[in-house]
Amino acid sequence: MWRFLAEAGAVFTKDLRTEFRTRVALNALGLFAITTLAAVSYTIGPYRIAENDRPFLLAALLWIVIFFAAMAGLDRTFVKEEDTHTAPLLRLSAEPLVVWAGKLLFNFVLLDVLMAILVPLYMVLMGFRVASTAGFLLVLVAGGYTLAVTTTMVAAIIARAMTRGALFSVLSLPLLLPLLIFLIQGTRAAVEGSAEGISDSLRAVVSLGGVMTVVSVVLFPVVWNE
Amino acid sequence: MSGGVRLEFDDLAKRFDLRVVFRAVSGAAEPGEVLAITGPNGSGKSTLLTILCGLLRATRGTVRYLLSDGGAEIPRELWRKQLGIVAPSMSLYENLDALENLRFLALVRGMRQSEARCRECLESVGLDPARSTIVRGFSTGMHQRLKIAQAILHDPPVLFLDEPGSNLDPAGQDWLEELVADQREHGKTVVLATNDRREMEWGTRRVALPG
Repeated sequence: MWRFLAEAGAVFTKDLRTEFRTRVALNALGLFAITTLAAVSYTIGPYRIAENDRPFLLAALLWIVIFFAAMAGLDRTFVKEEDTHTAPLLRLSAEPLVVWAGKLLFNFVLLDVLMAILVPLYMVLMGFRVASTAGFLLVLVAGGYTLAVTTTMVAAIIARAMTRGALFSVLSLPLLLPLLIFLIQGTRAAVEGSAEGISDSLRAVVSLGGVMTVVSVVLFPVVWNE
Repeated sequence: MSGGVRLEFDDLAKRFDLRVVFRAVSGAAEPGEVLAITGPNGSGKSTLLTILCGLLRATRGTVRYLLSDGGAEIPRELWRKQLGIVAPSMSLYENLDALENLRFLALVRGMRQSEARCRECLESVGLDPARSTIVRGFSTGMHQRLKIAQAILHDPPVLFLDEPGSNLDPAGQDWLEELVADQREHGKTVVLATNDRREMEWGTRRVALPG
């Protein structure tokens, strides 16, 4: 187990180091997030939504911004290994699940960094307040993991395909749509302070994350090696 | 691993859609031997090496790795631990320095206490002074030397070299010849794909692919 973690940690550290030297994914994520956030806050702002609609609409807008920013940057993780011809050496050197775990951790951290910057900005610009901070943080972390595990698997599939750009969105949408709905419901419940609503949504999000983790563990070695 | 590894391949064929790259290719290499795979451009030398490494499936035929002491067959999922490869189609991480590249590969190959071995490999290919240089800034010859360093890093019993002397200067080619001789002396199995007359001479066995 320790050996697996050390090897996955090496993949994660390598990706982190190369990312901080090139900033390709960070720039794509950041630029998309800030542009979307600026557009939303400029056109809607904190006061153009009726008080009754605020919990649902602001929760939906928050996850739309996070979701589209994630779509812009998280598909790079395997594509760049194929494009730079480093994938064959990685295939020969590392166990498939070590690669998967390292890449998943990298995408999860990248998404967490994005959310750590984006969410406070969103709260300030949109006047977004939550009644249950702990519930909201749990929804963000669980949502971040499930988003990362799903996009990591889809990124691995599309890296082996020829028409990558369109395929990422096409494959991701049906997998991420139910997740997005549960995350919006969970965030709305956190805004309203409904412990039952938060708990229901978290259960659904964690279940989806668990299913995607199991599917990835079974499927990834086949996708990666064939 | 105490003994060496014998490589056998029999009746291999590869087809991409309708294009037949090669068919009915067989061969073997014992520990301490150099198998030279030759053939004109486009004959499938690199494709054959990729199949022998397990990175690509053959359309037909079998590849087997056998332990020389006892003859037990090594399962496909364990092949990668036995192999080191240098190929034009495989790159190292351009945004890491030379030492970071080797450290990373040593870690994911499960090597512990690998720092000294990484330095030793860089020294042996003449790149120790450039160990902290980002690989993007390397010349093509330096790239080739670093690729060779990563291939021998884990001391694999089977070494695949695809056009290994390309981009090396005359001194580098002499050094490469010494390296291959050293690998043979230590009972390693070397598989070499080349069109270079000098490199062909290193082969103790030969498989010629038709054009």
